[in-house]
Amino acid sequence: MSAEYNPHILGFLCNWCCYTAADSAGVGRYQYPPNLRVIRIMCTGRLDPSFPLEGLANGADGIFVGGCHPGECHYQDGNYHALVSASLVHEMLEKIGISKERFLIDWASAAEGPNFVKIITAFTQRVAELGPLGKAEGKSPEEIRSQLAQAAEAARSRKIRIGLINASREMMKKRDFSRTTISSMVQEKCAKALGELV
Amino acid sequence: MNAPAPNSQSLSTIGSVMVIGGGVAGVQTALDLSDLGFKVYLVEKSGAIGGVMARLDKTFPTNDCSLCILAPKLVEAGRDANIAILTKSELLSLEGEPGRFTARIKKQPRYIDEEVCTGCGQCTLYCLKQIGDDYNENLCRTAAAHIDYSQAVPTSYHIDPKSCLRLNYETCGLCAVACRAGAIRFDDTEEIVDVPVGAVVLAPGFGRVSEEVLRTYGWGKFDDVLTAFEHERLMCASGPTGGEIVRPSDEKHPKKIAFLQCIGSRDETCGNNYCSSVCCMYAIKQASLAREHDPDAEITLFYMDVRTHGKGFDAARERAIAENNFRVVYARPPRVEDVFDGGLLLTWVDEAGKHQYEKFDLVVLSQGLEAPEDADKLAQAASVDLNHYQFAATDSYAPLETSRPGVYVIGAFQGPKDIPDSVTQAGGVAGICSGVLAQARNSETVAATFPVERDIEGEEPRVGVFVCHCGINIGGVVNVPDVRDYAKTLPNVVYTTDNLYSCSQDTQKHLVEIIKEHKLNRLVVSACTPRTHEPLFQATMREAGLNRSLFEMANIRDQCSWVHMHEKEAATEKAKDLVRMAVAKACLLTPLEEQELPVTPSALVLGGGLAGMTAALTIADQGYECTLVEREKKLGGRTLLLSKDRFGNVPGEAVKKLSDRVKVHEKITVLTEAELDTISGYVGNFTSTVAGPKGNTVINHGVVILATGGKPYVPRKYGYGDSSLVLTQIDLEKRLERKKPLPNNCRQIVMIQCVGSRGDDLSYCSRVCCGQAVKNALRIKELSPETQVTILYRDMRTYGFMEDDYRKAREKGVLFTRYTPERPPEVTVGKDSRNKPIVTSYDAILGEEVERKADLLILSTGIEADDPTALAKLLKVPITADKFYLEAHVKLRPVDLAVDGVFVCGLAHSPKSIEETIAQAQAAGGRACQPLSHGRITPEPIVSSVDPEKCIGCGACEKFCPYKAIQIYKEGKIRKAGTISASCKGCGVCAARCPTLAIDMGRFTYDSIMAQVRAFNPQGEENVS
Repeated sequence: MSAEYNPHILGFLCNWCCYTAADSAGVGRYQYPPNLRVIRIMCTGRLDPSFPLEGLANGADGIFVGGCHPGECHYQDGNYHALVSASLVHEMLEKIGISKERFLIDWASAAEGPNFVKIITAFTQRVAELGPLGKAEGKSPEEIRSQLAQAAEAARSRKIRIGLINASREMMKKRDFSRTTISSMVQEKCAKALGELV
Repeated sequence: MNAPAPNSQSLSTIGSVMVIGGGVAGVQTALDLSDLGFKVYLVEKSGAIGGVMARLDKTFPTNDCSLCILAPKLVEAGRDANIAILTKSELLSLEGEPGRFTARIKKQPRYIDEEVCTGCGQCTLYCLKQIGDDYNENLCRTAAAHIDYSQAVPTSYHIDPKSCLRLNYETCGLCAVACRAGAIRFDDTEEIVDVPVGAVVLAPGFGRVSEEVLRTYGWGKFDDVLTAFEHERLMCASGPTGGEIVRPSDEKHPKKIAFLQCIGSRDETCGNNYCSSVCCMYAIKQASLAREHDPDAEITLFYMDVRTHGKGFDAARERAIAENNFRVVYARPPRVEDVFDGGLLLTWVDEAGKHQYEKFDLVVLSQGLEAPEDADKLAQAASVDLNHYQFAATDSYAPLETSRPGVYVIGAFQGPKDIPDSVTQAGGVAGICSGVLAQARNSETVAATFPVERDIEGEEPRVGVFVCHCGINIGGVVNVPDVRDYAKTLPNVVYTTDNLYSCSQDTQKHLVEIIKEHKLNRLVVSACTPRTHEPLFQATMREAGLNRSLFEMANIRDQCSWVHMHEKEAATEKAKDLVRMAVAKACLLTPLEEQELPVTPSALVLGGGLAGMTAALTIADQGYECTLVEREKKLGGRTLLLSKDRFGNVPGEAVKKLSDRVKVHEKITVLTEAELDTISGYVGNFTSTVAGPKGNTVINHGVVILATGGKPYVPRKYGYGDSSLVLTQIDLEKRLERKKPLPNNCRQIVMIQCVGSRGDDLSYCSRVCCGQAVKNALRIKELSPETQVTILYRDMRTYGFMEDDYRKAREKGVLFTRYTPERPPEVTVGKDSRNKPIVTSYDAILGEEVERKADLLILSTGIEADDPTALAKLLKVPITADKFYLEAHVKLRPVDLAVDGVFVCGLAHSPKSIEETIAQAQAAGGRACQPLSHGRITPEPIVSSVDPEKCIGCGACEKFCPYKAIQIYKEGKIRKAGTISASCKGCGVCAARCPTLAIDMGRFTYDSIMAQVRAFNPQGEENVS
């Protein structure tokens, strides 16, 4: 039997939107693949940039962060700050040579159970196609985990975090919350610190 | 007690309320009133509270587990020191006047002492006398000494005096020997108690359709004809078959099931011409669940009209029909026949007039809701009037008031209705009572107390894991014993167990005992979602002397068993992972200090229509300041578009009375031509800026009510706007008030229903248009009996007592012709009024298109929400796809929004009638005053804290905090950050941005989340970074 790979997926869902959407998907009996394990956080703004990296280092093949739609954060701007953290995670994954598609940040409102299901089903499918962490990347699990652990350590370092503060600060000042702008801000502000990451 | 008070003015008001009936409506009223500072006597006829909702397996439209959502409320009522539950009790008489009644109660003996009974069940085990189990619709047996159901509140057994051998024949008495607690009291006697109360709320629920009516459909004659209530018990995990739907005749799974609607409803022959409003939807629910139980079952539903007019109901019905391939037949089979081979034969006439017949394995009778059997007796005892169907008589503009001042009515006794409407009325009546008795608030109540918290400092984690079956909601998919045994192997877990329902009152009691006995200092409940059930378990922890922050839930129902129903093994593995992650987190939880925040005791109401004004008055009458903001120059809103209601009253007059009261009320400030500009803060402490003609007004308030209303949908077809002979019902309302409302020689008026609704421009049903069409058709017939009125409809949704109008319209000769969405009517219009619109529609009986020349064409159009997107974003409250506000819980929190302190009522919630709007506005007004009456709130202590050792004083946290809840202070020359706990809402942005990880969040600490991440590791924990 050439069954498709059954990926391990870790999710960080905000209490107010995505976690509620996941609950309402349950109440509505919308079915989705049983690969996701959820950690509830009050706001995606709580997402420490090291969490997704640690998740991948701890056996996840994909990480999903789910929050409120842009502009609808229960705490005003938390999901925008989450985008800043997410940009860093994407940068680091690229640097290590891990497919960026293994980390997804997306939105579903409390009223959008079916949308949550759609997002999770598609993400699970995509990660299944990528296969076990390392396979699509052509790396051994040991190598990839030690690199991820290093990246997580770097995400906790003062240098990188000050870069993120600056990126967040600029984002709030310009009030430009597009993913591409945020991503280039993070690249710029963390360039030096990221350069030191081997 | 017959002596009236000589001078009632001088006597003080009594701060307590009697609620008659312990169903969901009564229980919710009791909880709301207790919260508002009033003592409640909850009088229940049977041995336990819970009512019919406790007997339901699931609730529509979400198919949420009924007891799961009800049980926390029952437990809460049971443990509330200000709610006295009087079971086996009834009202004998009511003397006195509003504010000062004396209610005489007859309390039947339970024969088992409620205070002493431990709920162990030994009495039932030893009882020799078997009786029909009423809770299970007599589909199985129980003992004379029994408890109504396992989650019953009070968790106490009682003895049926009619069948007990000891009480009747002086023999047996085994229960007394078996009872270790010594709770059996054979000498228990009836008691008569006089209770002084300030107000009385009647919530006795509904009665059953008579057996005589059921027998005409073969019930009682054929084993496999079941009532819907019996079928509901068969579906339920705690039912007689453990949740297996089997035919009573041969215990086989039925493969062909028929649901017959309108049994005992819309049926003049049994005297019930009204529509019971709930059966169409519950049949869809039961059919869906029958399909879930047996995917091969073929299901047919026989409808007269499909009346799924509630919020989100049409969408749920359409999805259910499409996913389950149900067959919907528009017909009313008159009887059920036996065909001697175990099958049941149904015959009917289809829409084309053809005779049809078919055999079924099981027939379910969707029986309606009648007035309670003892309505007469109760009405006499309380001295209130009944209507012609024996329901309580009420007025559209005061829907919750009976004919006797100070006595109120809610729930199905006020008219057949579903759970959300009953719960809404419960909230409304609590608001009214709280207003009437305002001066006596907190005079009869006691403050809730908890034992001193145990200091767990220095203790190793001792985790208790409780895995819930949730009936078959979890247990039917996840292997619960397997998960429980797995939990036992996890580090620091010292106790594990599984419960059928973790949220029941007896489980809560056991929890307290187990926590104490096993010295647990962390609790993990593996069940449903923390969003709904965390507060219940946290309250139990506090009773056991544990800080409520030492709690974690694993969501193995909403996010596991319900979404992986066909993957049992994978779901079980997932449940284990979730438990492992929860335990890992729990070990790192620490007790958090509670904080109390003051509340600004005033409200802001947005929208000065019927809903807004009613809500404002409900709040102001309770003694709280209220600012009412209206966009237009005048108060009144869109109720003024209606020229007459169905009783011939002018709604405008009622609105005028209301606005007159609003304008002079000393507690209400009205701002017209004003709109909300900004709002910030949280429950208890909002600050808003309202922009008006005289500039901006800043308002501090504790709560906010959204009564922003809706607007008439403007049709874009059928020649509307092109021809002056094409009107909407709203246009017609105005026209009917003209001196000469109808065109000369008006032969025919055609009305088309659902224009733009139900899947057209608007996806939903607007609920009120069918009633409005019938009302206006009758008005036309009154003006001009010779004018032919034809109504082209999809389903006539004249629910409740509106069915009387529908019947009357048919009697007066109004023609009703059904059309299907696949073949809608077509209209051709000319440009001027000489060209009459031609309406073509398909007639199923004639089998051809019929052309009608209309002197007037009336389009029944629905109600749209006033786009709430901007306001919803400001307030951070969710809205539905149809742009109505999404309530916090469809069933049990119908006027609360997800954000604490924000409430909704009126058309902003969903389309509804005048009567429904008023009750909902009263509910919003009542619910909104709960935080105001407390004077303080105790938010969850999930706030941030700063480690000054690690803090470098960079100020990033201060910069990014949306609440100014973290600030830099100076310690000498050194800058440090500090949290202002009262302002912190716990989002955690500060922690995620802190460059030195000096900031951490209560209950969501870095280490505890990392513990979850590590515990997630499918390969074990060898890769710890």
